[in-house]
Amino acid sequence: MTALLVLAFLLAAATGTGVVLTRHPRRQVVALAINGLALALLFMALQAPDVAYSELAVGTAALPLMFLGLLVSIATDRPEK
Amino acid sequence: MKPAARLVVTLVAALALLPGVVAVILHMPSFGDHALPYGDAINRLAPVERHVTNMVTAVNFDYRGFDTLGEEYMLLAAVTGALVLLRGRRGENVSDAPAKADGRSIAPRSPAVMLICRFFAPVLLLFGVYVVLHAQLTPGGGFQGGVIIGSGALLLYLGESYRTWRRFMRSLIFDMIEATGALIFVLAGFGPMMAGAKFLENTLPLGQSRALISGGLILVTNAGTALAVAGGFVLLLLEFLEETRALDAGDKS
Repeated sequence: MTALLVLAFLLAAATGTGVVLTRHPRRQVVALAINGLALALLFMALQAPDVAYSELAVGTAALPLMFLGLLVSIATDRPEK
Repeated sequence: MKPAARLVVTLVAALALLPGVVAVILHMPSFGDHALPYGDAINRLAPVERHVTNMVTAVNFDYRGFDTLGEEYMLLAAVTGALVLLRGRRGENVSDAPAKADGRSIAPRSPAVMLICRFFAPVLLLFGVYVVLHAQLTPGGGFQGGVIIGSGALLLYLGESYRTWRRFMRSLIFDMIEATGALIFVLAGFGPMMAGAKFLENTLPLGQSRALISGGLILVTNAGTALAVAGGFVLLLLEFLEETRALDAGDKS
């Protein structure tokens, strides 16, 4: 295992922990996107560019957007304090 | 259940699962080791049999194309389900016109955001098309390219206002794009059967290896997937952003 891989693994673990520790939903969406980016870098380092593409497109763009849309939709009935 | 009792149950469950976890960890293959012969076989056979240089695409759209067919229809079902739920709640036939919501206006975009989006949206769309077209040559393919094209559509929304975006993002067009993509994949399956071959058998001319047009049937299935994914993604965007119902700057809020 090279230093690059170790770094990528640690980055993925750190950002994943960040998602869990973030309590505010909207900030958590951003944390999730950052975790997706770290995972994409990890897959790239593991020589799986196809998976990295998918993770980048779905994990950092599509999924956070759906969550944001959902949060806005929920806020229709209960305005945030 | 009290928090203390919950903790006890969690600990008991963790203790019960621990031997299994340890056994699995001890028997894992070492890092980077791949014991199964399938990957090596594909690496050896696909360039000769299918004239492609991206083995992932060869597996996805040819050797295991039947699985991808199932995946594509899973996507179609998921998108249809989300659309039925969201549109059904709003009422039929109202999706063509963007909705209004009082007191829900969002801050107008800054010129910087508009400029960046107007520059990057076409570039991203072009890049998505590139990823789709080079599926059999370089990493990427219909799925990834389709989502990248969808992300380009999202940047268009960010750069333009919601109402402008909705003016050229017609739901019906993307309904048809998604359905056409799914249909192309099925026809790619049944087409070879008309010629006496098996379902999804690669009977088309394979072309020159490393050329843009190569891989035979892979081109067709990949194009179908790209259309279905891009169409489905934009449809989801349309319905989800309609949920946010943002007003334009000029609208009464």
